[in-house]
Amino acid sequence: MADLALAGHAPRPARPWMLAAGITIPAAVLSMAALAQALPPALWLTAIWAPETGDGRQLLVHYSLLPRMAAAILCGAALALAGTIFQQVLRNPLASPTTLGVAAGAKLALALATLWAPGLFVFGREWIALGGGALAIGAVFALSWRKGLSPLAVVLAGLVLGLYCGAVSAALILFKEHYLTGLFIWGSGALSQQGWETVATLSLQCAAVAGLVALMIRPLTVLSLDDAGAHSLGVSLHGTRLAALSLGVALTAVVVSGVGVIGFIGLIAPALARLAGARRLRDQLIWAPVMGAGLLWLTDQLVQRTGGLSGGILPTGAVTAVFGSPLLLWLLPRLRTAAAPPRTEAAGPTRRQRAVPMLLALGGLLLLGMALSLCLGRAPDGGWSLAGLDALPGLLPWRAPRALAALCAGAMLALAGGILQRLLRNPMASPEVLGVGAGAAFGLIVALFTVTAAGREIQLAAACAGAFGVLFIIVLLGRRTGFTPERVLLAGIALGALFDALVGALTASGDPRGLLLLNWMTGSTYQVDAPQALWSAAAAVVLIALTALCARWLDLLPLGDAPGQALGLNLGRVRLILLGLAAGLTATATLVVGPLTFVGLMAPHLATRLGLHRAVPQLAGAALVGAFIMLLADWLGRMIAFPWQMPAGLIATLIGGPALMWLLAKR
Amino acid sequence: MAAPLATPPVFAPAGFAVAGEPSLPTPLRRLAALDYGLAETLILLGLPPIALVGAQDWHRWVVEPPLPPGVVNLGSSREPNLELLQQLQPDAILSTPYLAGISHRLEQIAPVLTFPLYVPEGRPLALATAALERIATLTGRAAAGAAVLAQMDATFAAARTRLAAVRDRPLYLVSVMDSRHVRVYGAQSLFQDVLARVGLSNAYQGRTNFWGFTTLGIEALDPDPRAVLVYFDPVPAGAMQALGRNPLWTHLPFVRSAQVHGLPAVLMFGAAASAMRFARLLADALAPQGGSNG
Repeated sequence: MADLALAGHAPRPARPWMLAAGITIPAAVLSMAALAQALPPALWLTAIWAPETGDGRQLLVHYSLLPRMAAAILCGAALALAGTIFQQVLRNPLASPTTLGVAAGAKLALALATLWAPGLFVFGREWIALGGGALAIGAVFALSWRKGLSPLAVVLAGLVLGLYCGAVSAALILFKEHYLTGLFIWGSGALSQQGWETVATLSLQCAAVAGLVALMIRPLTVLSLDDAGAHSLGVSLHGTRLAALSLGVALTAVVVSGVGVIGFIGLIAPALARLAGARRLRDQLIWAPVMGAGLLWLTDQLVQRTGGLSGGILPTGAVTAVFGSPLLLWLLPRLRTAAAPPRTEAAGPTRRQRAVPMLLALGGLLLLGMALSLCLGRAPDGGWSLAGLDALPGLLPWRAPRALAALCAGAMLALAGGILQRLLRNPMASPEVLGVGAGAAFGLIVALFTVTAAGREIQLAAACAGAFGVLFIIVLLGRRTGFTPERVLLAGIALGALFDALVGALTASGDPRGLLLLNWMTGSTYQVDAPQALWSAAAAVVLIALTALCARWLDLLPLGDAPGQALGLNLGRVRLILLGLAAGLTATATLVVGPLTFVGLMAPHLATRLGLHRAVPQLAGAALVGAFIMLLADWLGRMIAFPWQMPAGLIATLIGGPALMWLLAKR
Repeated sequence: MAAPLATPPVFAPAGFAVAGEPSLPTPLRRLAALDYGLAETLILLGLPPIALVGAQDWHRWVVEPPLPPGVVNLGSSREPNLELLQQLQPDAILSTPYLAGISHRLEQIAPVLTFPLYVPEGRPLALATAALERIATLTGRAAAGAAVLAQMDATFAAARTRLAAVRDRPLYLVSVMDSRHVRVYGAQSLFQDVLARVGLSNAYQGRTNFWGFTTLGIEALDPDPRAVLVYFDPVPAGAMQALGRNPLWTHLPFVRSAQVHGLPAVLMFGAAASAMRFARLLADALAPQGGSNG
C-alpha cells in the first residue's frame, strides 16, 4: 500500500535536522519579533514567571502569546506522531488523524451537546469532544473487527463513519445555524489561548501517549511487512494494530478536544520526515513530530502576523491546509512508491445470468421512485397530499427539475466513483478525492465574495471554471507521473484540503455568505431550474455513453498494470481518458448537487453487493443505484422537515451511510 | 448568529420610488417577507407578513415586536420553500440582495421588491428608514410610516437624554461566541448607527465585514480603562463561567470595575424596530434610574 519514500535512492546522507531547522528557525524568529512587539525584552523574564497583574502587556504575553506558541508546538507534534502511526499501521500514505472519523465524531458530540444538553458544558468542552471521538473510533473498530482490523477495513470504516458524522453535524448546522457558530470557530482549529490550562492538560496527555508509543517501536516496525511476514515473526497483528491505532487516536482526540480540528499536519509531516531522509520508523517517529511542531508553529505565527478576514480571527487549523497543500503538491514528484497500491477486492465469479434481471429490477424501482417524487407532497398546512392531474401542472415546475437533476447527478457520481475505484484500485476512491468538487466550491466562493449579488448564471459559470481548473491541474501533475494511481489520489486530496480550508475559514468568520455556501456544499438541489436540469440530463447521457465505450479497460485495470500492458493497453493514455471522464462526470454532477459526493463512494459497493461484478453490469448497477438514492434523498429532503428542505446530498449520506456500514460489518 | 439577512446593493437603491410600477397592485396587502428586518418593519406598519422565513426562531432573536399568530413559516432563510410560497399567492415578495441567486424564480410567483439593508460602506439605520418609507408608500400606509419615524426620533432622543451621564465611556458591543471568542459590532452595524443617534461612542474602532461585525479572541480587546462592555443574549452555555476563570478576561478593566452588562436578545441584522429596541434596552441597562419612556 504505497509506502512513500525518497525519490532517487541516491546515496544522499540523511539529514532531517536541516529541514527541521529550516522550518523552526523562521518560526522562532517570528515569535521573538511578536514578543518584542508586545513587550520590551527586558520585561520578558518577569512576564514569563510572575506577570504583574496591573500590566496588560505582561498579562498578554503570559496568558496569551506564550501558551499559544506552546499549544501550536504541542499540537503539531502530537498530530504528526499520530499521522506517522496511522500511515504505518494502515500502510497508506493517505491516512491521517482525520481519516478515522475522530474529529468528525468529536464535532458531532459538541453540536449535539450544544443543542440538547448544554448542561454538559459545565464539565468542560474537552470531555464532550473526547467522548464523541472515542465513540466514533469505537464504532470504527467494531465495524472492522471481523476483518481483523485489516488496514483496508479500518480505513473504509473510518471514512464512512467520518462522512456520516460530518453529514449529521452539517444537518444540525443548517437547521440551527444561530446556535452553532461557536462550533465553526472550534471546527477550524482556533489556537488562541487565554491561560495555561489547555497546554498543561495537553502536554501531560501527549507525554503519556508518546511514552507508550516508544514501547511499541518494534511491533510497529514489523507491521510494515505483509500480514504473513508479520505472523511468522510472532507478532499478533490484531493486538498490535488495536494498540497502535488506539494510541494514534488518543493523540488525535486530545488535540481535537483541546483546540479543534487542525487538518493536514498529520498527513504532511510524516511525508516531510521521510523526504528529509528519515527512513527507519524509529527516525520517522522522532522527526515527524519535530516537522509537525515546526510547521504548525510557523503557520500560527504567520496567521497571527497577517490577521484574519475583516480584521478578525483566522483559524489556524484552516490555514495549515493553505500552506500544506502546495507543499504536498510540490512533494508529489519527489516521492516514489515502494509497494504495490491497495487492490479492490478481486472480482468475484461472474454471474452473468443474474445481472440482467437485477438491472431490470433496479430500473423499475427508479421509475416508481420518479412517479412518487413528482406526485406525493405536502400541503401548506403540513398534511400529505397526492397531486392529481389538475394540481400537477402547478407543482411540476418546482418538483420535476429537482428530481431529474438529483437522479442524473446520482447516476453520474456513482459512475465516477466506480471508474475511480477501478482505475485507482482503491475502494476508498470517490469523486471527492479528485478535488473537482472542491474546485467548483472554490469558484463559487470567488463569485460570491467578489461579485456583488452574484446571480445564478455567474455562480454556475464560476463553479464550472473552478471544477475544470482543478481538472487541468490534476492532468498537468499527472502527466509528469504517468497518472499512477497514488499520485493522482494525493494530488486530489491536497487540492481538496486546500479548498475545504478556505471554506472553513469563511464559515468561521461568521459571514452569512459562508452559510449560503454551506447550503450548496451539503448538496442542495434547491436552485436547479428546468434548463439546468435538462442540460445536466443531456450531459449525463453523453458521458454515460462514453463510459460504456471504455468497458474493456475497466475490466482489465483492477487486475494490475502487468496484465493490462500484456494485452497492449497504453496505460498512460487509458488513465488520462478515464480520469478525464470521471472528472467530467463529477464536475457536471457537482454543479447540480454540490460537492458532497458520498453516493459515488457508496453506489459501486452496493452494486457489487447485489452480485454485479464485471465492469459493465457493475457500473450500470451502480448508476441505477446512485440515481435511485439521490432521487429518494431529494424527495425525502423536501418532505421530512417541511417547510424546511434538507439538501439531497446530505440525506443521501444519512440514509446511505448506515447501509454501507451494515454491509461492511456483515462480511 | 442571527439570520443572515442581506448583501450588496445593485438592485433598486433604497427609497427608489416604485409606486408607479405597472405590475404592482396598489396598495399591497398580502406580503411575504424573506428577511427578519423587513418583517419587523411590516409589523411596525400594522401590516404583518402572511409568510416569513425562520418564523419559529423569531421569539429568540427578534423578540419585539412579537410575531402575530398565523404567519406561515417558509422554512430556511437561505432556501425559502417556493412550492409553499406559490400556493399562498402573495401580492408581492419582500426580499434582500442576499437572495439574488433565486430572484428569477421568485419572480415566477409574484413581483419581488428587493431592499438592501446591509451593503458595503452602508448605513443600516438609514437604509432601514428608507425601506420603511418605501414600504409604507407601497402599502398605502404613509401615515403609519410617518408615525413610526416620529416614534423612532422620540425613542432615540429619550435614550440620548438618559444616557448623557455615560457619554464619555466608549462601549464594546459583543456577542459571546465561546469562552475564548467574541463577535464585536463596529462600523457599518445597526448598533453603531444607533450609538451615534444616542450620543455614545464605540470602543471597537477596527475593521468589520459589511454586516458590521468581526470575531476576535478575548486577548484582542483593548484594555481601555473607561470602556464598558455590553453583551447580548443568547450566551452559549458555560461560556460566562469559563470567562470568569480566564485571567485575561478577569484582568480587563471593565471586568474588574464590574462594567459588564448583559442585554436581552436584539436582532443585530435588524431594521427600525430592532434599532428602537436596542436604544431602549441600552438605556435601561446603563442608566436604570432614568425611568423608561422610550
